[in-house]
Amino acid sequence: MVETYRPESLQEALEIRARGALPFGGGTDLMVARRGYTGNLPQFDGTLLFTDRVAELRRITVAEEVMEIGAAVTMTELLEHPETPDLLREALALIAAPGIRNRATLGGNIGNASPAGDSLVPLYLYDARVELESLRGSRIIPLKELITGVRKLTLADNELLTRIILPLTVFTRTSYRKVGTRRANALSKLSFSGALTLKRDGTIEDLRIALGAVAPTVVRRETIEKSLQGKSLEGLNPKETAQKWANDITPINDQRSTAAYRKQVALNLIAGFIRKAQEEL
Amino acid sequence: MKISQSITRFDAWEKGSGETRYVADLEVKGLNYGRFYRSPFPRGKIKAVKVPPLPEGYHVVDHRDVPGENCIAMINKDWPAFAVDEVRYIGQIILLLVGPDREVLDRLISGIELEVEALPPLYTMEEAEAGRSAQGETAPPIRGDSNLYADYHLSIGDTSSAFARAARVVEQTCQTGFQEHIYMETQGLLGWWEEGQVAITGSLQCPYYVKHASQVVLGCSEEAVRITQAPTGGGFGGKEDYPEIMGAPLAVAVNKLKIPIRIIFDRVEDISFTSKRHPAKISFRTALDETGEILAMEVDTQLNGGAYESYSCIVLQRAIFHALGVYCIPHARVRGRAWVTNTVPSGAFRGFGAPQALYAIETHMNELARLKGEIPGDFKRRYLIKTGDPTITRGFMKDTIIMPAMYDRIDQISGYRRKAEAYKNHPTLGIGISFFNHGCGFTGDGEQRLIKARAKLRRDEEGRVEILTANVEMGQGVLTTFRKIVAEVLEIPPETIIHTNPDTNRVPNSGPTAASRSVMIVGYLLQEAAKQLKERWAEPGAIEAEAHYTMPPGLTWNQDTMEGDCYPSYGWGINVVEVEVDPETFEVETRGIWAVYDVGVAIDNTIMEGQIEGGMIQGLGYGSLEKLEVKDGKFHQNTMADYTIPTSLDFPTTVSETMENPFEYGPSGAKGAGELVFDGAAPAFSGAVENALGRAMPRIPLTPETIMEVLVDEN
Amino acid sequence: MKINFTLNGKETSGDWPAEKRLLDVIREDLGLTGTKEGCGEGECGACSVLLDGKIVNSCLIPLGQAEGARVVTPEGLKENPRGKAILDAFAQAGAVQCGFCTPGMMMAAEALLSRNPKPDEQAVREAISGNLCRCTGYDKIVLAILLAAEKGDGLW
Repeated sequence: MVETYRPESLQEALEIRARGALPFGGGTDLMVARRGYTGNLPQFDGTLLFTDRVAELRRITVAEEVMEIGAAVTMTELLEHPETPDLLREALALIAAPGIRNRATLGGNIGNASPAGDSLVPLYLYDARVELESLRGSRIIPLKELITGVRKLTLADNELLTRIILPLTVFTRTSYRKVGTRRANALSKLSFSGALTLKRDGTIEDLRIALGAVAPTVVRRETIEKSLQGKSLEGLNPKETAQKWANDITPINDQRSTAAYRKQVALNLIAGFIRKAQEEL
Repeated sequence: MKISQSITRFDAWEKGSGETRYVADLEVKGLNYGRFYRSPFPRGKIKAVKVPPLPEGYHVVDHRDVPGENCIAMINKDWPAFAVDEVRYIGQIILLLVGPDREVLDRLISGIELEVEALPPLYTMEEAEAGRSAQGETAPPIRGDSNLYADYHLSIGDTSSAFARAARVVEQTCQTGFQEHIYMETQGLLGWWEEGQVAITGSLQCPYYVKHASQVVLGCSEEAVRITQAPTGGGFGGKEDYPEIMGAPLAVAVNKLKIPIRIIFDRVEDISFTSKRHPAKISFRTALDETGEILAMEVDTQLNGGAYESYSCIVLQRAIFHALGVYCIPHARVRGRAWVTNTVPSGAFRGFGAPQALYAIETHMNELARLKGEIPGDFKRRYLIKTGDPTITRGFMKDTIIMPAMYDRIDQISGYRRKAEAYKNHPTLGIGISFFNHGCGFTGDGEQRLIKARAKLRRDEEGRVEILTANVEMGQGVLTTFRKIVAEVLEIPPETIIHTNPDTNRVPNSGPTAASRSVMIVGYLLQEAAKQLKERWAEPGAIEAEAHYTMPPGLTWNQDTMEGDCYPSYGWGINVVEVEVDPETFEVETRGIWAVYDVGVAIDNTIMEGQIEGGMIQGLGYGSLEKLEVKDGKFHQNTMADYTIPTSLDFPTTVSETMENPFEYGPSGAKGAGELVFDGAAPAFSGAVENALGRAMPRIPLTPETIMEVLVDEN
Repeated sequence: MKINFTLNGKETSGDWPAEKRLLDVIREDLGLTGTKEGCGEGECGACSVLLDGKIVNSCLIPLGQAEGARVVTPEGLKENPRGKAILDAFAQAGAVQCGFCTPGMMMAAEALLSRNPKPDEQAVREAISGNLCRCTGYDKIVLAILLAAEKGDGLW
């Protein structure tokens, strides 16, 4: 028999979590992963912690150019929020379909730690941080330190992902591209996001690239980005610049696409992002 | 009022409101559930089947319970209802487990073990031909002394002399993949024991096929089996053969246990183990003269039939009869082979071999046009077959053909010719065109020799007319079109006519709901029966009128030599698709879809449009999205997340027209349409991509990955 | 565990495992079979219902998360003038073929029109993008929803 709890306060939720309960947001990944044969019960064991009623986890607050998103906020709620950055909005709008987005939560998408988790790519780009809470206290770490591999988190057994902290950095140019198995209601073969801010003299102040589904976790390489800072955008060779990421793009062959395609297209999208920015100089 | 003018479908409101009860929706007292235990091995000799002890009320049903012949009686009887001594594919049915609680069944199923002495599996046609597995092991033939179900040869003219005269020979191989039906309702049947009969209802296309298969496996008389069709949530051919494959074991279980048993497939089981469209490899050798005109053609068609014969031989026949498409090629040789492999048996799917053949010939004609420097539409137009021209089966085309006018019309609505010229040097835009026809009804004299269709009308004492046929409503609209056909003759309102889902205890065998035959063949019989009824209308009391199929005069067929008129008539079509290819991701955006069809006369315009739009989007899925690969003997894409059919956002609105061309032996002039509307979309799509990229890409589904591979190979 | 929710306006309660799919409870325990199962993994939308006014896939909702919620199924929608307007438009436009996706499509149409009573074609296509149909190619369904918006003017 599966035990389930649906607390209304964070304190209660943390107490239940401390007993080892599995955090359960909208269920749109968990109910698929644990589904039984048609007509049979989903196959859970132990305790489930439904987070959908925890008031603290349902809030979105915006202050001083930082957006704080409760882990149980749904994709639809984020899409409808006026302060959600366009890049994140574009990614969310292409996740599944309305029925899923009405249930799926941002915390769930993170917690699922799938290489193809579409919200992760813009979150990495914005240097999102996450708050992890337990009865013993809380810690805030960069998102990329939470996710260490395919479905692997550094979340302690008693901790709950409670908030996503998103700096609302303004860029002069952003781009999101999902390459899915079809045009809508699709899983990603790969996804791309890029952001660019130029100085007045046309040199790069900030260039960020994040790629999804081309490695066990989202690919974001600050060392490469830093090496391009201060360079003239116009002077970059888009194809050669994209190659800087080549060693970090290590995709697999699977039922949705091929490694060769993922890698080539990822490089094309990086080059295309640079080229289009150059064209609009 | 002209018959084509639309009326509201009779089943629309009940279906939309959720009142319609499909087989999974039926409430049944004392219901038990059935789950198949399937082979986890692709090939081997069965050594043992180990079943854990069963709790009370749970039963194993297997080959030992078969009172008749342990086979699925289809064209052949090679497919065992329950495996006995060998398995030939992953998923082959070993036994049926029956019991009242699905959780318990689930646990029991996972406790069953099969022991086999493994043999090297052959998954592809190449492996089957070589008799060698992918791992390089030599493998004995899967069936008999070769891995072939059939090897057919057709020819007309003097191909050898024409090749001797050729200035140039062009070779090209076109390939198509598996396709899964994804009817929205998974396979489902419910069986029970009633008054000395095994009764089965469910989601199915061919009540009499299920009846026949049940009779053979039970070894019983006609009276001992009753099949009724439940509302059917889509078929597309997938419920033509599979209900026999799950129905025969179910009949055995009901016969043994005398309890109600329902089997509803989970989607993963459905995708993993039900029939698929045959993958094809079709190679051309075409002899050209100095100016690039066609002198002769050789076509080598190969299909992957999978582990048991099912309909592979007749799918292959339809494929080779459509091998030359809609063109008059006076000197031609066509070879057709269907291979035995260790994949899930391939089966019926909308089009039945024709889509593969038509995709290939259209793609090859695109290539020949490109070599000649002519736009494909104009090139194809010049080779169109005309009335009286010879066909590949040494018959003569009998249809009145209006394809030239259809080409003019589609050019008007789509701007095809202008765009085809304009996009010749455009890096990302392309437009493609396909010309095609689809033989209506069974191949050759199958309607007369095998089916012998009967259709009946009954007028009761109160003057109400009832339609009695075995054809099923599966979305295509027969509950509406059949009423319209009868109402037209009797000059009564269609809504006064009774027409319910067939019950073999009440309806005559009017044949399967397949092969684009319901309206043209059975509808015509209903029209004939209605004429009889009209003449006898004054008779008192209840009266019945029945019509029997006879081949239209002037048609001949010899099944042994495959010579004569392979179809009584054809539906005809031209499709145009316009695309834009993304140079970074190789994704293809479809910008426009146009279609013009000759289906004789549409019985209902709205229903016809629905067939066109649905068929074309399914065909576009086949051509672009629906990748289904075999990995280690299993389908790699076995969920609806991974096997992707088109959504509402994948394709734009279809612009379509029908042009009238009444057929004398169709009801009110109607011909078959259900498969025709599928056939042209994939080649028009791939032709558009080829046009955009300026090179041949003879492989579907033409996914972004495939496009990239071709481009990389060429660079 | 004891679970209460409102089903088509009626208070409903029972003792169910909290992880049981809302879909199975509606269909099998409460006998409302208008909601269909097409895939069991939230891909096809045949099991669409409204949960507190929002479209969801009932195959992915553990019943415990429906506690206290308002659930509307096709059986509830058809009793409502909006549902009737959508049904009539579907019938008139020829948007129904095999019918298995149709109840879910009706729910998607209601979910859309209740938020956006005057959608354009793109909005309609987006709203039904999680509801797969294998028969119609969607054109007639899109047409039907636009027709419902026009004919049912004022209902939403």
